[in-house]
Amino acid sequence: MSEIVIKLENLTKNFGNFTAVDSINLEVCRGETIGLVGPNGAGKTTTIKMIAKILRPNSGKILIRTNGSELKDLQHVSSTVSQIGFLIDIPNFYNMTAYQLLKYFGKIQRYPKDKLDNRIDELLAFFKLSEWKFERVRNFSKGMVQKLGIIQAILHDPDIIILDEPQTGLDPLARIEIRKYLRELQSLGKTIFIASHMLYEISEICDKIALINYGKIIGFDTVENLALTLKTSELNCLLLEPLDAEKLPPLLNRIDERLSPFLDQNLDPKISKIPILYNPEHQGLKLYFNGKNESKGEILKILVNEFESDFTVISFTQPKTSQLERVYSKLVENSTPEGPIKLKGDDIKNEK
Amino acid sequence: MRNENASLTGLTPIFHTIFFEMKKQRKKLYFFTMVSILIAVLLSYILQLFPDNLLADTQAEFFSSGLNFISFITLFSACLFFSGIICSEFNKRTGFIVFPKINKYKLIIGKYIGNLILVVSIITAYYFVLGLFGFYYYGGPINIRIFYSYGFAVLYVIALSSFVTLFSSFMKNVNVTIIITLIILLMGFNIADQIVTLFYADMFEPLYSLAYLGNLITSVLENPFPDPRYVEYSFGGMGPGGMGGNFSYGIWVTPSIFMGTTLLLVYIIGCFILAALLFKRRQL
Repeated sequence: MSEIVIKLENLTKNFGNFTAVDSINLEVCRGETIGLVGPNGAGKTTTIKMIAKILRPNSGKILIRTNGSELKDLQHVSSTVSQIGFLIDIPNFYNMTAYQLLKYFGKIQRYPKDKLDNRIDELLAFFKLSEWKFERVRNFSKGMVQKLGIIQAILHDPDIIILDEPQTGLDPLARIEIRKYLRELQSLGKTIFIASHMLYEISEICDKIALINYGKIIGFDTVENLALTLKTSELNCLLLEPLDAEKLPPLLNRIDERLSPFLDQNLDPKISKIPILYNPEHQGLKLYFNGKNESKGEILKILVNEFESDFTVISFTQPKTSQLERVYSKLVENSTPEGPIKLKGDDIKNEK
Repeated sequence: MRNENASLTGLTPIFHTIFFEMKKQRKKLYFFTMVSILIAVLLSYILQLFPDNLLADTQAEFFSSGLNFISFITLFSACLFFSGIICSEFNKRTGFIVFPKINKYKLIIGKYIGNLILVVSIITAYYFVLGLFGFYYYGGPINIRIFYSYGFAVLYVIALSSFVTLFSSFMKNVNVTIIITLIILLMGFNIADQIVTLFYADMFEPLYSLAYLGNLITSVLENPFPDPRYVEYSFGGMGPGGMGGNFSYGIWVTPSIFMGTTLLLVYIIGCFILAALLFKRRQL
């Protein structure tokens, strides 16, 4: 296992009588990408602000490892924050040009002077802001300001990058660009910590998800492991050709009969009334199964071998986003300010 | 990896912040410098073109009358340059971008010094124009007392700026800070001085008042230095409805040089310490 670079120990923050962050314990290892997901007011931004030393915790510790040293208490290390790149909340800049701002940020973080201009140009070009280099920030759109916010967070090439809602205000293309850039950073071994509402982005990028509600971590694991807490999991099968509408009802009945040991027959009607659905637009089948890994293999075998004459499966996937959405809904709905409600059969992987 | 420790323990971030702040405020600098030069030209040159305005007898008197507006210039510039120094980081939420990058005290020190350099430059421009006309009308050498006056003006600006910084450390909004500090400095202290003098006459010198301490800027030009420093004016006559009698009122003209300097320094240190304590407690 790789070394821990950020460790939150019983981290607590109160605002008067309101506990925004309640004894959070979390470990982030080097090179990991962690998503912090939770509803509004769950404590995501407060946690990040404490790591950035913008807020002081009421109790608990934030331990950070930099330059291969041992874990150190953030409150006693003045330099640590400069080795982390932060994007906190919706960024607000002084009304200067993008170049003036980035130059200043680079200088105060001691980015090598001779490389700073190149670094600024490179990042502005990547985020398609080169033409706006000498424009004042007040002329920027919301999405452009957000991009500049991401640039300032990574400008000094930090090892740890902490981003709070990085996709806010961005158009779909910009989101793709940022996702692409975050993947590049992942490949460089950077540790990334993202707080977001956007489950798709989180499920696409993050290795692990920390679900937070009422200031408590109610689940922390990979999407796949968190999904084990779900009674029902989802599978998407894309077919080579559309199914004949006339033959569809008997075919679906046959599939249902054959796959019934693996399907979730007591499906929650909020999810779906039947465990097999055909979507003509996507030309695919959606199956709700019992969530066991071995069932997935069996289902695939049966669909490929026994229904060869009816259709050809060209893709067989377990969608991460919808799983995460359901894990999120389940854990958030079942959590209270006192802590998660322990559901029958639940195995909520929580606070190590 | 680079040695990041040096960036926060060293003074480099302060220097970068000073230059950045000066760039950021340059429009205000141009405006105030233009206004100061215009006022200096108006008082020292244009007014002398009118036959009713006789040129002062001595260079020191010329400087003294030319410096009548210096307290307004210092006051307005201090309020407008320093009001946002701390509270804008909170109010405009720019602190979220800069505070994780730089120690927050270093940021504020850099911003303070940057703004102070600009305000001192504005005053310097004013004194320079005044000195130029003094030389034009009276020839050299320039009266040394204008340099003393300049020194007090700089000290006064530092005291004003520390006072405004104190307000900026706990106020929420930049505009409200500007308005409140302007009201206190323009009217509050003067009204308090008059009330105190009305009740206590020469028994109590209004040394608490920044406005009063600022009188040193012009009184240091007088030779000899004003003595007594408390002056009483009396006048008599018939009032409305046949009421009449003798009236008198007193004014404290200036603090002594020693007391004035000491109290300006006390203001500076006191306001900075309080501002630092309040700023330390403040969270975004």
